Amino acid sequence: MRCDHCAHDVPDGVFCTRCGAHQGTSEEIGNAKTRERRYAAHPAEHVIQPSVFTTLFPHLGQHKIHEFRWAFMVGLAGILILYVAGLITAAILVAAFLVPVLYLIYLYEAQVYRDEPATVLGFTIGGGIVVGIVVTVLERVVYHPFQDAGNPLVNAGISVGSLLLLGLVLPVIQEVLKPLPALFLPNRADFPETVDGLVFGIASGLGFSLAETLIVFSGALTSLTAHVEPANWIYELMTLAVLQPVLQGSATGMIVATLWRYRRGRLGGREIGGVAMAVIAHVAFALGTQLMNDTSVNSLFVLTWQGVVVGALLIYIRYVLHHALLEEAAHMGYAETICANCHMHIVASGFCPNCGMALTAAPNSVKRGRRPRKDAPTASRDA
Amino acid sequence: MALTCARCGAQNPDGNRFCQACGTPLTAAAAGIAAPPTAPPGPPGAYPGAPPGPPAPYPGPPPGPPGPAYASPLAYASPPPVPAGYQSPYYVPGAGAVQAPVHRVPLMLILSAVVVLVLLMAGIGTAIAIIGSHNNNQAGGGIASGLPSPSPGGSPSPVGSSVSTTGTTATNPGLSVPVPAGWSVANKDSESITLVDPNSQGAITVASGLSNPAQSAQQNRDSINKYFTGKYPDAKNCPTSQTTTGALNAASGIFWTLCFTLTSGGQSIPAASSLFVGANSDGGVYYLVELVTQQDNLQSFVSESQPVLAGIQWKLS
Repeated sequence: MRCDHCAHDVPDGVFCTRCGAHQGTSEEIGNAKTRERRYAAHPAEHVIQPSVFTTLFPHLGQHKIHEFRWAFMVGLAGILILYVAGLITAAILVAAFLVPVLYLIYLYEAQVYRDEPATVLGFTIGGGIVVGIVVTVLERVVYHPFQDAGNPLVNAGISVGSLLLLGLVLPVIQEVLKPLPALFLPNRADFPETVDGLVFGIASGLGFSLAETLIVFSGALTSLTAHVEPANWIYELMTLAVLQPVLQGSATGMIVATLWRYRRGRLGGREIGGVAMAVIAHVAFALGTQLMNDTSVNSLFVLTWQGVVVGALLIYIRYVLHHALLEEAAHMGYAETICANCHMHIVASGFCPNCGMALTAAPNSVKRGRRPRKDAPTASRDA
Repeated sequence: MALTCARCGAQNPDGNRFCQACGTPLTAAAAGIAAPPTAPPGPPGAYPGAPPGPPAPYPGPPPGPPGPAYASPLAYASPPPVPAGYQSPYYVPGAGAVQAPVHRVPLMLILSAVVVLVLLMAGIGTAIAIIGSHNNNQAGGGIASGLPSPSPGGSPSPVGSSVSTTGTTATNPGLSVPVPAGWSVANKDSESITLVDPNSQGAITVASGLSNPAQSAQQNRDSINKYFTGKYPDAKNCPTSQTTTGALNAASGIFWTLCFTLTSGGQSIPAASSLFVGANSDGGVYYLVELVTQQDNLQSFVSESQPVLAGIQWKLS
């Protein structure tokens, strides 16, 4: 058939295997070319859907995503059990490690690092840990929390100096420093895709988050008794286990993905907006949390605010990644391969004709298994 | 021998596995199997919007080596006629084709990793907590025990103290407080003044103002406890502390000490807050003193704060 949007002859399918455009007319697809109801990394979802896993783990197919979700839920259940049992020290440790460990498994599953796991993991997660240690230790040196002890009968008031430092200056400094390890990856030219940059940035951000949590809570870890009253620790634990690592990872991922796009000469308003969004989201997260803590707002509202900020950032990442995948997958060669999302044996270039997944977001083992289809209709049939 | 494609009729050189014009598998065409497999009606993980193209008989699972490569679809529809010009988006893996596995980590391994993480951290965390709790001193004492000679409770008419310091005095409409040498004023407004010691090991907040509506000392204390329990995850009375009544520089009220974990600015500190809160006879004015420091530093910080505590002058009555 001939694609209505790129005018290439391609195998019949719901989606053009070359440009990813939706070919149907009966489905309420919106703009068939940009097909924002079919997120390119996970076509069962809309682009505007704040899903953690299909955003931060873009190489996983529909089936595998659920397995990682289940594993994450098991981890959260473990934290909840430790919390109820009063083992707060253990719960803090699990919360700190849960998402980074899942991400390590994901990196192994998708083999994003290809043949150089030590270099890639060292420069992303390892580098993020080093930056996290340096930044958090410096933060401890310049800020003394006792000075903000205020008058509890008038809600302690708000310390403008502390707000500016913790809610504005530190988040901006963190977002400047966190992407550095991924940027200095020596073999970065081997990973040209935007989705690679996103994943490396997320890994760096998660390394930072892990180091930050362990240093910040080192005092509590060594002072809390083995069994304490669970009290209100659950709010802190939810921030540590979910919201903080997702924020740190996605903000850095967004920035590194943008820099990857810049290297490809594809820097546009969407990408620049991504950097702004990452910084603004981090500032909003930190500033809002600090402000609400200073004014003794209910912890549930603090969690809600954090969730809203993280959700907005995730949606923007999906928006940028979706369009990057639509653009970059169009340059893949014609080959026999397996769709990592729907598992069909397909003859395709950049997109699965069945589900529309961008094949640049396939696990590396699948990419390596692509067999060029020299006798397939390609350039000779181009319009 | 040239192979003729059953679909489009194009002539293909011998050895081609697929029609070079339309991509149809030539082996299947020669065998009379015209079309490649279509999307299954609903295999696990399959996309629900499968292509509406003509289904065809599935030629069976790939004859390649066994492995976890690809879960074959479970069921296929019967084959309708293939329209002319149809170009299949699917292929049948050839004999002997080795397909790399799509997934490398089985579910059980992922779950096992998370369970091991939880168990490992539970063990490590408990061990750290047991070792750490042996080395920790619980906060004891407080403002009341630190004052050299607390004034007896009674009429809370503000009375000035004659405390000599080498520093200056910080003042606001509600109170004045000496600032010893090396101490600094971290915050000051119309009701409260916060001083930080030279080593930033702790802070003293002294406050006084009008209560509207009127509040007794006990009601003020309840408000403060509510504030701490809402702000810090584990605020509670320190185990070795006592709640007493008395007076601080002629303001009568309640002394007590709270312990909590203060998390802010890159650190979490096992903190203690030694508190005094009082009220005048009609509850229209409150008096507050709050010392905050590390739990194991409370005693020495109270001692260090003596000149400040003794020099507080309440201006409202």
